[in-house]
Amino acid sequence: MTDPSREPRALTLRVNGVDHSLAAEPCATLLDVLRDGLGLTGTKKGCDMGACGACTVLVDDRRINACLTLAAMQEGREIVTIEGLADGEDLHPMQQAFIAHDALQCGYCTPGQILSAVGLLAEGRAVDLAQVAEQMSGNLCRCGAHPNILAAIAEVAGLRA
Amino acid sequence: MNDSRSAPRLEARLKVTGQARYSAETQIPGLLHAALVTAPIARGRVTDIDASRAERLPGFVAIMTHENAAPLARAAAVLHLQGPEVRFAGEPVAVVIARSPIAARRAAAAVDVVYEAEPAATDFDLFLGEAYAPRTAGRTPTDSLRGDPEDALARARVSLDLRYETAANNHHPMEPQSVIADWGPDLLTVYTTTQAVFAHRAAIAGAFGLEVEKVRVVCEYLGGGFGAKGGAWYPGMILGIQLARHVGAPVRLELTRAQMFTLVGRRQETRQHLRLGADGDGRLTAIALDTVAPTSTYAEYADAVATTARMMYACPNVATTHRLVRLNAPQPNPMRAPGEGPGSFALESAMDELAHELQLDPLELRLRNFAVRDQNADLSWSSNGLRECYQVGAEAFGWAGRPLAPGALRDGRRTLGWGMAAVCYPVYSMASAASVALESDGGIVVRCGTQDMGTGTITVLGQLAAAILDVPLARVRVEIGDTLLPEGPYSGGSIATASFTPAVEAAARDLRTRLITLASTDPASSLLGEAQPDLVLEDGHVRSLTGNRSESLAALAGRAAPGGLEAFAQTTPDPDRPVSAFGFGAVFAEVAVDPELGEVRLKRLTAAYAAGRILNPLLARSQYVGGLIGGIGMALHEATVDDKASGRVLGDNLADYLIPVQADMPAFDVHMIHEDDPHLPGGIKGIGMLGTVGTAGAIANAVFHATGVRIRRLPIRIEDCIVQA
Repeated sequence: MTDPSREPRALTLRVNGVDHSLAAEPCATLLDVLRDGLGLTGTKKGCDMGACGACTVLVDDRRINACLTLAAMQEGREIVTIEGLADGEDLHPMQQAFIAHDALQCGYCTPGQILSAVGLLAEGRAVDLAQVAEQMSGNLCRCGAHPNILAAIAEVAGLRA
Repeated sequence: MNDSRSAPRLEARLKVTGQARYSAETQIPGLLHAALVTAPIARGRVTDIDASRAERLPGFVAIMTHENAAPLARAAAVLHLQGPEVRFAGEPVAVVIARSPIAARRAAAAVDVVYEAEPAATDFDLFLGEAYAPRTAGRTPTDSLRGDPEDALARARVSLDLRYETAANNHHPMEPQSVIADWGPDLLTVYTTTQAVFAHRAAIAGAFGLEVEKVRVVCEYLGGGFGAKGGAWYPGMILGIQLARHVGAPVRLELTRAQMFTLVGRRQETRQHLRLGADGDGRLTAIALDTVAPTSTYAEYADAVATTARMMYACPNVATTHRLVRLNAPQPNPMRAPGEGPGSFALESAMDELAHELQLDPLELRLRNFAVRDQNADLSWSSNGLRECYQVGAEAFGWAGRPLAPGALRDGRRTLGWGMAAVCYPVYSMASAASVALESDGGIVVRCGTQDMGTGTITVLGQLAAAILDVPLARVRVEIGDTLLPEGPYSGGSIATASFTPAVEAAARDLRTRLITLASTDPASSLLGEAQPDLVLEDGHVRSLTGNRSESLAALAGRAAPGGLEAFAQTTPDPDRPVSAFGFGAVFAEVAVDPELGEVRLKRLTAAYAAGRILNPLLARSQYVGGLIGGIGMALHEATVDDKASGRVLGDNLADYLIPVQADMPAFDVHMIHEDDPHLPGGIKGIGMLGTVGTAGAIANAVFHATGVRIRRLPIRIEDCIVQA
């Protein structure tokens, strides 16, 4: 019962500035390929159906849910995961702000929150705190770090609480 | 936060860079993957399982069902696949093992199962008449009685007879439960999401008939838990371990979000019948609380819903009962602020109703009923800062300006409401061990087999040792989450910090003594011969108080203890503590309600807590805010809904199960009252639950104050708040 649509195919993904060639089923999500194929487990699986935001990554500077896209659809694009956000040992300002504001507890939603925040700023949508709160509402947090997350983003975005 | 104790999380950098590894991310060569086949019926039996279609799919390795699963010891845990019976919708009936997660899921979908369904008890309301008394309610007796509440109710100047309901909730930590089992020749290693590596090790050893030393449980980072990664995870975890033995290879079982609605516990829904009697001044003369909740057909659990009614307020006549109804439904278990969460909603709402009845300020009513001692336990309080919490919280909130009448405050077209509630949670602790070691390079390492659910355990373990040894926190490394470490406590019920603090402090003090001894006896030490009382630890050195001499810990270790120096301590709580210990607090809420749309917006939450010694104010505040947000969820969002006919969960995903999100957040104002409690080891009370207790009551009371509509059912939704013109 072989089905060609399920046969692994060669694929090249550019992740954090590095090309990775691998074989993946055409139906494999970007999330599963990142985590299980490339060992980039900083991208988290929270719901696997686009409802929690834990798997948020940047693709060509836009934030997407890695569980809602197929890996095969992201060939030729620049994918940035949490592992690629810092500049060597120098953390991205958003990462630094998350530490300083204690904007994380268990840490499982954190990579998605940070990438979502970085994407939000890049998209020019962080005009005021209410907008940021609205735009960050697709990234669920269960520990309740929300006000600290908002404070961290506000600091980086230069918004006042 | 300028407090020097407010250190950022030690592991924060690993978490913001994606380097912190969670259980499912453990890399093991040859790892296979599992997917569950779950029952669509709520009661019945499996009569046939046909895996022939699944077996032909690529990547298929094996299937385990009740027909080929090895029997396990039926020790403490409820187990899956031990027979053909189905006890609730969503129960696993088979597991497929395959070479990839996709292959496993695809094959699981191709397993054909035939069921013989039987009539199931799935509608709580239909079975209320079959309620029975469980053995215990949480850790407390099922029933309580002091005085004669029926007589007092009959004679009361004012009496209220009220019925409250709270919904079932699911914990939903962001990290799904997972287990990877690796059966080595001499050691079973289990990487799993657990709130208690040692308790889980014991459960595994019991189920598989192994010595505990033959089992190692590892949980380095834990993506939340809130109760769902305690005993509720035993059945799934044990199933995953059994799979690995079944196929003779390491296997990963990771729950889907949908399975987290049925397989890892839930907060019980409650029906609470609460009667209050009071004199004309509002002093309580009687409290009678009868609460009913569902449990499963195969296990028993009752939240201690009546705790707060028994002790929160001074009252001579109190009776409480807990009853359970058996349903073909997933087994409930503790969830953040178990019992006190739903129980305080009813009690604090009722106090608000009494205040309204008497035209008294709700805070004044509570002050009149302050309990100077624990009348339920008949003990003095170890400490009780409740009145300071009332005062500090009320002042910060501006409560004094609150009009008595509902609907008097407006913000444009919205009406505003202010409500408040009292808060308490018992102090629990358990035995704990820990070690503190000096390494050969002068660094300090703290070892404790507990977990960090996101609470800050790693950081405060380091801080406790750093403070006693007077070394910079940057020189301290903390190891947790492994049963190879000294046995540490469960993370949950606000237990962990109260338990490990005395152990870590004792070990650190012992190490300090041994370092001073070493410095004064090592022949090459510049402190040789110094009197030990004259030596202190200071900034990474042993220093003499009498002269200007010191030895760095690094030099001392390198010379006199090249293998390092480790101190170990084990502490056990006093079972006969002659006082009653609770953390207390007060929470104040402001809501804005749209009178036409019924939309409730929570604008402000102000809370004050007196909960003993605070180790790290920055992380403590985060814990309190997290707890408050859990309370917001209970109040306005969360409801796990079972279909009354089929018993299946409706909307078993995070789009339909609403939890508070960033746009729902109010402004938070949290105050921590300084409190020294000489009766408690280390002065620790635990804080993780307090934020969630009382919050739903305060919000419901604020909704009443805004609308004049009393809502006695959680969660409060738009349709409850549409005020008739």
